[in-house]
Amino acid sequence: MQTRRQFILKGGKLVAVGAAAAAAGPTILVRDARAAGQLKILQWAHFVPAYDKWFDPWAKEWGSKHGVEVTVDHVGFADVVPRATAEVAAQAGHDIHMFLGLASAFEEHVIDLGDVVGNLEKKYGKQVELAHRSTYNPFTKKQFALSDMWVPDPGNFHKGVWAKIGMPNGPVTYDDLVKAAPEIKKAAPQMQIPIGIGLSQDIDSNMAVRNILWCHGGSIQDKDSNVVLNSPETLAALEYTKKLYSVGMTQAVLSWNAASNNQAFNAQETAYILNSISAYRTAQDNKLPVLDNYFFTPALKGPKAQLASEHVMSGYVVWKFSKNQDAAKEFLTALVDASRDSMLGSKLYNFPSFFGAAAEPGTPLAKKPESGAAWITAQCNKDPFGSSPPDKLALLAKSLPWSTNLGYPGFANPAEGEIFDTYVLTDMFAKAATGALSPKDAMAEASTRAKQIFDKWRQKKMVGGGGKDK
Amino acid sequence: MLTPAVLYITLLVALPFLLALFLSLTNSSAGSLQFSYVGFRNFQSVLANPVFQRSLRNTFIFTFVSQLAVMVLGNILARALMKSFRGKSIARFLILMPWAAPISLATLGWLWIFDSTFSVINWVLKVVGWLGPGSWYYWLGDATLGMAAIITIHVWRMLPFSTVILLAGLTAIPNEVREAAAIDGAGTLARIFRVEIPMMRPILTVAVLFGVVFTFTDMSVVYLLTRGGPFNSTHVLASLAFQEGVLGGDVGRGAAVAIFLVPLLVVLAVVMLRSARTAEVG
Repeated sequence: MQTRRQFILKGGKLVAVGAAAAAAGPTILVRDARAAGQLKILQWAHFVPAYDKWFDPWAKEWGSKHGVEVTVDHVGFADVVPRATAEVAAQAGHDIHMFLGLASAFEEHVIDLGDVVGNLEKKYGKQVELAHRSTYNPFTKKQFALSDMWVPDPGNFHKGVWAKIGMPNGPVTYDDLVKAAPEIKKAAPQMQIPIGIGLSQDIDSNMAVRNILWCHGGSIQDKDSNVVLNSPETLAALEYTKKLYSVGMTQAVLSWNAASNNQAFNAQETAYILNSISAYRTAQDNKLPVLDNYFFTPALKGPKAQLASEHVMSGYVVWKFSKNQDAAKEFLTALVDASRDSMLGSKLYNFPSFFGAAAEPGTPLAKKPESGAAWITAQCNKDPFGSSPPDKLALLAKSLPWSTNLGYPGFANPAEGEIFDTYVLTDMFAKAATGALSPKDAMAEASTRAKQIFDKWRQKKMVGGGGKDK
Repeated sequence: MLTPAVLYITLLVALPFLLALFLSLTNSSAGSLQFSYVGFRNFQSVLANPVFQRSLRNTFIFTFVSQLAVMVLGNILARALMKSFRGKSIARFLILMPWAAPISLATLGWLWIFDSTFSVINWVLKVVGWLGPGSWYYWLGDATLGMAAIITIHVWRMLPFSTVILLAGLTAIPNEVREAAAIDGAGTLARIFRVEIPMMRPILTVAVLFGVVFTFTDMSVVYLLTRGGPFNSTHVLASLAFQEGVLGGDVGRGAAVAIFLVPLLVVLAVVMLRSARTAEVG
């Protein structure tokens, strides 16, 4: 029973937030009928379109086998959060909502999926650590999401150009980029941007600047959720980026959207980008001239670490307002069960969060993660989707040790999510790189904002730490 | 008879506005329905934020420059359309096209025109020799060029509406008035500035008022073209409110940014409507 005041407040919030979210993205018409046996899923439009062609019929087929009418709606990745905001305000919409990365801000409105994850771990062994750290809040002890897949984020390099400057296997360290950039300018003067690491307000840049920060020993938070952005390590990362920008980048990287680095690399306008394999699959599908020179490197080594953020981390949530929570849980379990098909459906873009789910049938539980890893390695070593040479993607099978979650070295949390979505870090890096602010001032500005955001979420009792903020 | 209009204004204008006002005084966040009153803390916080200060400045520049351009160009086009010439109907159709085109589609086209790597403008300038080796305009990677690109698209989009309104105003002026001015020795400029523009003041006021309010509150061009970048330097208040309130999930702060200019817009609207009424009476 709601009071009139509660009703008005809830309704008002619905109107205000719903109107704003509706203005942002495509309208999805959600059928009002709520008959038992319906399951509505909101899913991103995958960066590798082949995945959606696998997922949609697979979901329908699962539904028909279980007597559930499954509806899948796709939105662009940028509309995932606004759509969730609108549905929470309306307390209606889809049953399952897929987030890319951080669903933690919506924790209050999703059911605890601890039982689902527990059962899956009993069936397949532990999930990968970065998936656990992206879907579990240690402060509230809630498993707010389930990850079925994550995506490695390797370096993509133009072999022909790097061979010309005496580095046929591409860069290994961040210093290599600074050394190579002037050489690339000489060897390939037609290339507009020797090093194409985005410093703009987009998802790829958000990942890239975190990689640079972590590899120089800095981070937004420590493992206990204290804000530690204001540090000599952050300063070192900013000074490095300033140097790299001056020798190897142009203002173009300040304006890139999620597709820009793919387009620049595929047009051979840059010799190095940080990206998953989606750009490569596009080059393959369109038989682009860059294809023969399209190769990958692991995460670059920095002075303190060799780390890269996951490129995408699925986070499926089941809303509390869903009328079909049991069916939703069963569906998510089945999705993890289908990890092999999912990885192949995405042309090796998706990596299972439960390696054990890709194991050979009949493998004992203790051996399942190992068996799954072996199957994944076999796919990467001999790409079934026509790479030449066939082992071009082999390094992806070894990407787990250098891949980590948003929020490293701590867990993903709503404060990290807000910092990600409001581009606090890319803003800091871009200002320092271009000289709009000194590295020190850029760091101070970003650190102040980060602390404000963390404080806000701490007051809401969703994030810990605070005692050792710097 | 007035009930539908009153209901419409109450439900779709007054209520959301009052709620936005209310939310701006709370710590409401996107993922939660719980919130508490925080007074003016959101306003204090955004006022101290350099991104907000830049966005506020951008909003005024965006509005002033684009409205000035729209009024000048709209006048020129309206006067051209008053004359008879071959292909006038096609010209009129083409001028109205940007008004009819969905802004998301149109901006995607403009996105390619201004793309920092593949800009059509740059390639043309290169071919004609304007840009030498190593020279390049990073339209969306530079704060000033980014604002210029945003203003260009907005002017392109608003121009048809303004042209139509001004054309209606010009057509409504009786020819006898122009002839009398000519007999009295008024030249072209004197006729425009001392006869036509004063007579068109009510309709010009409506056009400017509509344009100013529309521009002050528009976020679509910024959001689709630059997303506020580079480094949050091309935001206007509406796009910043969306970034903070919806993408960032801080609804209270987003609402504070969004309604910041409401008092100014109200004053502006009152002054302009009074001015229009005075002109009509006169």
